[in-house]
Amino acid sequence: MISLLRRSLTARTVAVTVLLSSLAVVIIGGFLSYSLASSFYQNRLAQVLSETQRAVASVQNTVAAASLNDETALQTLLNSVVPSLEISGGSGDRQVALLRSPDQGQLQLFQSPISQSLDLSTIPEELREEVRLSGDSLVYTPVELLVDGQPTAGLTVGAPLQIPVAGEFELYLVFDLSAEQQALVLVQNALAFGGIALIVMIALLSYFVTRNLVRPVEQAAQAAQQISEGNLDQRLPERGADVLALLAKSFNKMAGSLQQQIQQLDSLSRMQRRFVSDVSHELRTPLTTIKLAGEVIFGNRSKLDPALTRSAELLQDQIDRFEKLLGDLLEISRYDAGAVVAEWEQNDLNAIVGAAIASIEPLAKSKECEIIAELPAKPVKAELDSKRIERLLRNLLSNAIEHGEAKPITVQVGENAQAVAVCVSDRGVGMTRAQLERVFDRFWRADPARQRSVGGTGLGLAIAREDSALHRGWLQVWSKPKRGTSFRLTLPKTRESVIANSPLPLPPRKMEA
Amino acid sequence: MTHRILVVDDDDALREMVGLVLNSSGYETVFAADGISAVDVFREQNPDLVLLDIMLPGQSGIEVCREIRSFSGTPIVMLTAKGETDDVVAGLEAGADDYVIKPHNGVELMARIRARLRPIGDDAGTVTIGPLTLDPQTFEVRRGQEPIPLTPLEFKLLHTLAAKPQQVFSREMLLDQVWGYQYKADTRLVNVHVQRLRSKVEEDPENPKIVMTVRGHGYRAGSDSL
Repeated sequence: MISLLRRSLTARTVAVTVLLSSLAVVIIGGFLSYSLASSFYQNRLAQVLSETQRAVASVQNTVAAASLNDETALQTLLNSVVPSLEISGGSGDRQVALLRSPDQGQLQLFQSPISQSLDLSTIPEELREEVRLSGDSLVYTPVELLVDGQPTAGLTVGAPLQIPVAGEFELYLVFDLSAEQQALVLVQNALAFGGIALIVMIALLSYFVTRNLVRPVEQAAQAAQQISEGNLDQRLPERGADVLALLAKSFNKMAGSLQQQIQQLDSLSRMQRRFVSDVSHELRTPLTTIKLAGEVIFGNRSKLDPALTRSAELLQDQIDRFEKLLGDLLEISRYDAGAVVAEWEQNDLNAIVGAAIASIEPLAKSKECEIIAELPAKPVKAELDSKRIERLLRNLLSNAIEHGEAKPITVQVGENAQAVAVCVSDRGVGMTRAQLERVFDRFWRADPARQRSVGGTGLGLAIAREDSALHRGWLQVWSKPKRGTSFRLTLPKTRESVIANSPLPLPPRKMEA
Repeated sequence: MTHRILVVDDDDALREMVGLVLNSSGYETVFAADGISAVDVFREQNPDLVLLDIMLPGQSGIEVCREIRSFSGTPIVMLTAKGETDDVVAGLEAGADDYVIKPHNGVELMARIRARLRPIGDDAGTVTIGPLTLDPQTFEVRRGQEPIPLTPLEFKLLHTLAAKPQQVFSREMLLDQVWGYQYKADTRLVNVHVQRLRSKVEEDPENPKIVMTVRGHGYRAGSDSL
């Protein structure tokens, strides 16, 4: 429920609207019902008081008109007064009691006449005391009556009576207010029903209004989401001329220009990649001829004079370099075109590292550089493209040899539950922080002025990074000037697994010190 | 005996250069510059091996390969500028025995050519495998009396497997013994040729009885009891 409110703007709006309108309905309904109740009561009270007034007057008249000689006559007269008062009112049932005030000396045997069904508890003692003290005026109090066993509202009005010979009496009239109460309940029910209906209507109304306003916004949000996921064809329906239509129109315009720009960039970069790939391909046929010709000349260099011999050697070297560069360009253009597919196979990383070291050994020897391999005793199995990983490692190794200043190069292999790792570390010149940031850039060299002896193409690390990304692995580098450089390749053990952490520390512990 | 090699390439310079390299190694050369004339030259000159460029005007090297294969088992080595998976597989499926990716060097090219022209050992005797009889002297394979036409490479592949029916050959071993590759090469060569071989010698290529796959290891010849 809470999450629905958090998620849906419509639900939130409807909930708030219903809450506020319920509050308003309760306040208004309460006020109405209270003022109705009090006006009903006031009306009835006025009526009741005037009836009582008349009743008091009629009793006094009756008593004054009669010539009262003795107690019995008085008793008879007063007994007859009560029934006559019961029926003479204009407002339905009422009950009457003519009570004698206590503590009077004469007429000890006098009986107070009361209506038959009157319950004396409806005439509380407090009221009687008030009546006795009131002088001439009327005193009333609300009471609870039992009508047919049901408690209903009632009103008891009392007035003092002075009767000659007999002394002080109190006349009480008990009125039944059930009619008023029923009317009030009826009105309250109507109010409650109306209030609930109103709230339901407001809820529906606010739902539809919000829905109408929110739906286009929701559609826009969904469309934006789709576009951000790469579905650039997504558009909003444009209806009408209101602000929502304007929103849709602007949104579509934005999406359109975005799509156009992306497509433009896309086709530009596709053209560029295409160009690189075409150039590389077109270069291959002449390069093959040049290479074969160079080999023939190189193979017969002993028959040439010394200057031509050297030329043949230089030609041969540069053809090799050219070929390597072309190969790397083709490879990177294949990556750019997204045309690279790995050949996954279960492989022993130790064996691949061994093969890479063996193939780089001649270069290491010529640079008098020692390669120390720290491999685990048992095979380190992982699912990977062995050709690419071997090429990647060869690249790291040849970089280490080039920048390692003939100091020993360490190659470590490690594994944990999800990942395998290789770390290639040299203790050479190292790199500054600024250089580190560009180390994977294409054709970037740490020091352009530095002598290039190994003859890398400048694309080696860029391809290495692509290779590691193809395996969903990490290729990370640590370096400090004059301390050395350490590259760490971490690869998941299977195509499905994800690396959480690398089995090897970077930099290696020995380098840290 | 001098072997004659047909070089099919649309690049004049490269064609001439390859010719020079081949001549210097003692091979006789004939040339074709496009896909249409290549088949005619082949029929006229009856070369011992074809070096075939894939990208050719007229008809592509793959079509030329298919056409030559329809009447001859002469070894075909493709030259491809692409080295892309699709081209290589298409060429091998069209019947090429091997391929070389440009830019190649002379040594590599010569090694591939020599491997394809090398005869099967003369000491090899007649071998039977299932219902098939293989005669290395005549390159003939018979199912009972019915001869089955195989290219020399396919014959060599089948013969290598059949000569040691108990042994499982890995793809690398077959690359070494049949193709003459000393280093790790493209195992697709083996896969495609095994399929081609099966389509010729098996009664039901989907359910092979003669060239069996050993999952995760390679291939072996079907047991004699079959």
